[in-house]
Amino acid sequence: MQSQDNTMTDPSNETKQAEKAKQKATDPAIEAGLERLTPERIKKTINQVLEKETGPRFKAYVETCMRCGLCAEACSYFLSNDRDPRFMPAAKVKNTIWEMLVKKGEVSRDFLREAVRISHLECNVCKRCAMYCPFGIDIAYMMLLVRRICHKLEITPQYIQDTVNSHSVTLNQMWVKDDEWIDTLQWQEEDAREEFEDLQIPLDKMGADIMYSVIAPEPKFQAGLIYQTAAMMHAAGIDWTMPSTPGWDNSNMAMYTGDNEISGRIAKAFFETAAKLRVKRIVMGECGHAFRSVYDMGNRWNSWVMPPFEVVHALAFYHELLTEGRITIAEKYKKKVTLHDPCNVSRGRGLHDKAREVVNMVCEDFVDMVPNREHNFCCGAGGGVINCGPPYKGERMVNNRNKAEQLAATGAEVLIAPCHNCHSGLEDIIQHYDLKMEIKFLGDLMYETMEKKIYKPGA
Amino acid sequence: MNSFIAFIMGPMVWISAIIFLGGLLFKFIGIIQSVRSKEPYVFSYLTVKHSLRSIGAWLIPFFPKSTRLSPVYYGISYVFHIFLFVIPLFLASHIVLFNEAFQISWPALNDGVADWLSLAVIAALVFFAIRRQMVPEVKYLTSGSDYLLIFLVALPFITGYLAYHQWFAYRWMVVAHVLSGELMLIMIPFSRFSHMLTAPLTRAYMGSEFGNVRHARDW
Amino acid sequence: MNRKMEEKRSWDWHTELTEIAFEEWKTRFNWVQAPRVSMDGERIAAVVNLDEMAFTVCVNGDVWEGEYEKVWSLTPVSENGFAAFAARDEEWTMNVNGTEWSNWCDFIWNMMVSPDGTRLGAAFQTDSEYGVIVDDVPWEDRYENMTGAVMAPDGTSAAVVQVESMAAADVDAFKKGVFCVARNGKAMDRRFLNIWDISFDADARNIACGVRTDRETYGIVQNNSVWDNRFESVWKPAFLDADTLLAPVRSGGKWHLYKNDAPFWANAYDQLWHLTISPDGSQVAAIVSSPFGRWTVAVNDRVWQQSWDTMVADIHFSADGSCLAAVYKHKEFWDLAVDETPWHMAADMVFVPRISKDGSVVAVVVEKQGQYQLVVNKRVVASGYRFMAEPVISPDGTKVMLKGIENGIYKRKIIGL
Repeated sequence: MQSQDNTMTDPSNETKQAEKAKQKATDPAIEAGLERLTPERIKKTINQVLEKETGPRFKAYVETCMRCGLCAEACSYFLSNDRDPRFMPAAKVKNTIWEMLVKKGEVSRDFLREAVRISHLECNVCKRCAMYCPFGIDIAYMMLLVRRICHKLEITPQYIQDTVNSHSVTLNQMWVKDDEWIDTLQWQEEDAREEFEDLQIPLDKMGADIMYSVIAPEPKFQAGLIYQTAAMMHAAGIDWTMPSTPGWDNSNMAMYTGDNEISGRIAKAFFETAAKLRVKRIVMGECGHAFRSVYDMGNRWNSWVMPPFEVVHALAFYHELLTEGRITIAEKYKKKVTLHDPCNVSRGRGLHDKAREVVNMVCEDFVDMVPNREHNFCCGAGGGVINCGPPYKGERMVNNRNKAEQLAATGAEVLIAPCHNCHSGLEDIIQHYDLKMEIKFLGDLMYETMEKKIYKPGA
Repeated sequence: MNSFIAFIMGPMVWISAIIFLGGLLFKFIGIIQSVRSKEPYVFSYLTVKHSLRSIGAWLIPFFPKSTRLSPVYYGISYVFHIFLFVIPLFLASHIVLFNEAFQISWPALNDGVADWLSLAVIAALVFFAIRRQMVPEVKYLTSGSDYLLIFLVALPFITGYLAYHQWFAYRWMVVAHVLSGELMLIMIPFSRFSHMLTAPLTRAYMGSEFGNVRHARDW
Repeated sequence: MNRKMEEKRSWDWHTELTEIAFEEWKTRFNWVQAPRVSMDGERIAAVVNLDEMAFTVCVNGDVWEGEYEKVWSLTPVSENGFAAFAARDEEWTMNVNGTEWSNWCDFIWNMMVSPDGTRLGAAFQTDSEYGVIVDDVPWEDRYENMTGAVMAPDGTSAAVVQVESMAAADVDAFKKGVFCVARNGKAMDRRFLNIWDISFDADARNIACGVRTDRETYGIVQNNSVWDNRFESVWKPAFLDADTLLAPVRSGGKWHLYKNDAPFWANAYDQLWHLTISPDGSQVAAIVSSPFGRWTVAVNDRVWQQSWDTMVADIHFSADGSCLAAVYKHKEFWDLAVDETPWHMAADMVFVPRISKDGSVVAVVVEKQGQYQLVVNKRVVASGYRFMAEPVISPDGTKVMLKGIENGIYKRKIIGL
């Protein structure tokens, strides 16, 4: 349990400010959407989703919950907000979908405004609570149902909706144009040739062993990450390729707004790109929600029980490179590091032990945060929350207080966050709570510490 | 009046037992059929191994982390559920009835012990009721139906306890005991008491998603 | 098609073996990128590095005249040649067999080659304006955004273009619909939230695509009109003939095949995509999934007996429609099924199969443990190669041309069947 003596004080007394901000924060997309709604449309949409799109699972969850309150301890929002019951997982269900169910869809605009907030901004759909409910009730699933209803009512928050719009047009999340994508890869390839004279980022190479895929923020803002991976691929002697066509982006915000149709379209393009290139495996960068999209959710909508290609998250790939000796560490990283387990690759894929092995192979001084592995606290940014944009940053920081406490307790100088959403969210937390920590991707440390030589089999 | 009592003590016992067992069976079949028709994908992920792994983990006292965070509630809850089954099934006077009906019997609890266990169950229910008032997050979720459920469970134990001690009108207390026991049995398939069936199912599904797909633990 | 057959006939089907020392190039250049083989197998080419920021293309040992800062997307085209995108002084153009197009732009991508290899197109961007260029003739109209460019066999081109500017994160503007289909550069009237999968009929006179008309409503566009029926989602439509359009559509959570705005196939599927029509127009096939997680092929709404657990990647008809081959993956392994019969190759990869006109010969390259093999009608006819391009079946169906690299030597082999 969170030790009480370690409670953080909000540096700028922003709790109250954020409370105010919360009341003020108006989202034009939500407000305009609510304005358009009629009681008939609300009722019809809610009942359509509840009757046609749910089944025995939802029914069992509603009938099984004994209101015992054990889920409360699971939730960062509850813990960060001084155990305010409104933030406990079951309360979020009570205040959204139970009410819709009981009232048979006859709910008001004000109710829906609150339902949008609860489901999009006060739940990271991290599924930690499913591990704390004795019955394994999947509250994240129910929050996604609420988001689905909001999507159909067109009251999804503006910024995340814009991201979904981008997905629908470009099949990537940041309106990256086809030429910008390719140009960025060629630019990184050119830069990396300063280090490795004959380095290539092979585009559309048919029959390569590995297709490497990233999320759109990499070409848009963090092209250096592509550089680092290219360096690792080259040094490790991997037969790899990157697609020049749409389908290169594995991110999927539609999955988080309940736009299942666009979510499925994204996952389809992704796997069909791999099929067209006839690759054997897909390796993806350090992103958690993207992994969830292609490993767990987007595939299912398309009738793939499991992803049709083996999808290897960067954490597992680094592990492979190091244990196979394809990459060797020149000198271990010296600073004291800690590791954040992203929900979607830890609770979502059990990669936490491999991640620790990699960290220990790369770094000298590793301290675990508590709790950790499947039980790690959520970053507070994932599940689409950070994607709802700047208007909500203030309250997000309030809601992330317990994460800040957990980080501070490690005494680490460097925080490793192998997930883009976690990374951005934790960066905000470090800044806001003045934690005196650096934040890095695991790839940053891999690249920094690796020997810059080319792997020769048997050497 | 006598014929009413005779009905309560005789055929109604059978009727309530049939409603209880039949209701749960009917509910189970309904769930399976509904999954088949509406969410068949569930079967693609459900495995016996991971279902049992998860259910098993949650049956070990204080093994899941969640249970260690609320040890008092969880401990009382755990013991309560065991007593809830042990007392009615191993009470000497119940075994006599089973023996009359089916000519089978098994070792009984010492009446004195059973008496204390019944008190423990009643005490646990009082604890649950107080907890619903005292713990803010539980209070937030609580509605009248939660107290009603507690009351429904408490009734057969209270009446049974009183009947055993013959403190009040013994005969009427026995009738009330039988009646409340029947009521509870009948209510199980039609109320949230049905978690005795659905909880293992939801646990099995979540256990399979975690074990089979996510390669992670769910406790 | 005929032209293609003619050309194929003219190729050398008699010389049993032609060899070119490919690996040796590595001694001549700083590095050599992935090889490509010409359609007739007579030439092998690769992008090669000469010096820092100096690239060209080497074909059968001879390099193209120009040197470029970058060269990419090397692709075989007709006349046993190659085309690639090439950049000099940060300007891009198409280079065909060493000859640059006259038009240069800020970026060029999406190489489109007509089936007979004679027509070449690409997407381009100049001064942040987008368009399509076909055979060195760029669209007159340019747009601020463009996706999904396609080119018909006759060189007709189309793409989805944005016709009205949107401020950042302007979800209201998006909701009104700012995208159009532009055909040969001319934007059509109707605007939609989204447009995907532009398809032409055989003569490129008719055009179709999938669209989204509001947040959760999808439709099929046939020329200038939208089908009356609306759906939960749609996939790429295909013309059966000039007047008949087919499209996979989703309603009630299942996928159906529609024809001209009315239900066509009786069965509903968990998935239905890659609508494929035999070249003679007699057969309609699609990759389908039913029940959840099982993948197979439906031909004229009749589902194959066999189904697989992972995926069916693509399906291919013979020219006469008598034979259908499916590349699929089952339990971690790739395989090929021809007319419902699996070949049981348990391969690490199966490439695109080639089928003779009458469907009697199916040839495919497969990879097992890093080695390429050529399999013809289930029989392994060559193995131990490091690389193979897709084979060619002779027009009379009696020979197969292997194009591959073995021990560093490129080999063009004619194998009698």
